[in-house]
Amino acid sequence: MRRPWLLGLLLALVTAGIVAAVVDSETSGTGAANVGESGPERAATPAPAQRERERGRRCEATESNPGGTNNYIPNAPPLDSLGSGFVITGLVRSADGCRALRDVRVQVWLATETGGEQDNRTSVRTDAEGRYRIETAPTIPQFGEPNIHVGYDDGDYGEVFIRRVVDLDDERAVVDLTLAPSG
Amino acid sequence: MADWRALAFAAGVVAVVAVPVALALTDRHLAGASSALVLSTTAGALAVSALVVQPLLAREGRIARHQILGAVALVLVLVHVGALFAESSEDAWFAISPDGPTRARMALIATIALFGVVTLGALRTRLPLGAATWRVLHAYLAVVVIALGIGHAVLTDGALDDAGTTVLIVLGALGLLGVPAAHSARTRRARRRALPEA
Repeated sequence: MRRPWLLGLLLALVTAGIVAAVVDSETSGTGAANVGESGPERAATPAPAQRERERGRRCEATESNPGGTNNYIPNAPPLDSLGSGFVITGLVRSADGCRALRDVRVQVWLATETGGEQDNRTSVRTDAEGRYRIETAPTIPQFGEPNIHVGYDDGDYGEVFIRRVVDLDDERAVVDLTLAPSG
Repeated sequence: MADWRALAFAAGVVAVVAVPVALALTDRHLAGASSALVLSTTAGALAVSALVVQPLLAREGRIARHQILGAVALVLVLVHVGALFAESSEDAWFAISPDGPTRARMALIATIALFGVVTLGALRTRLPLGAATWRVLHAYLAVVVIALGIGHAVLTDGALDDAGTTVLIVLGALGLLGVPAAHSARTRRARRRALPEA
């Protein structure tokens, strides 16, 4: 080997690049926060005092994150449930005034033992308190980590497509949406 | 004595191949899974075993088998990735995009390094590289493939969790230790060949 220092320098630079590339990535993908929970279900609806404080304010709108539209098929059928053993729930509010939005359609899709993300999807509507809730079979990690998708795509507000992750032993995922005015 | 050693080597190889694939295929993440996911999981688990056996073959001086298994490992990884694209191309493209998770970033780099190490092996006599330079590059890429390949498998939920994680770490350590061990064994063999001429 005529110039070992040159080879050593090259490999050191490549190693630094590999370490930087790995460290730079997010564990579950960009913006895919862990929203899994276990134990007693907490109230997803803000308390009256909180609602009063927030009236007239502007809440930060939820932004779509990369991968949020993966396997999305518009107009998921409304179903009573997608199985049992896991719950996806959340509060849907308007960015303008932070008010809870009733009768808004949210679409949910995830991989479970009953099917992949393209088969296992449903639409669910928010109640008078702006809360949606759907029971499903537990999500399974077909692509390396249990993940769920929640989306809004009905045009009254700006579209939002969310990809979030949970742990294998979680019982529930809480995904709140704050919708911005469309356009 | 040589027969016993060959038998022990073969038994070790069978265990290294059988344990990861058996654990992966019996995990609950395959409940209701498509045949593409089953194929991907099988190919991935077998690729882990191949990565561990490769340095052992090099250490034993079984270079022809080492070359064949290198090609097999590359094919297994391509089948693993191809089956994931067949399952969901959107998820697969997302995984290898700049927004993909850490485990996929590791897998992408390990796959590029695997292409490199197999290419180095296939073109050994045709590349304008000195023998020492070739060996360092080959060993370096092998370490990258094993470290990031095992890292990818450890961070991946589902196929090899709990006992599977322990198996992966043990196999990864064996594979990584096997690289300098193969280098030392090759040096000893070269010295033995040179002795009669000294």
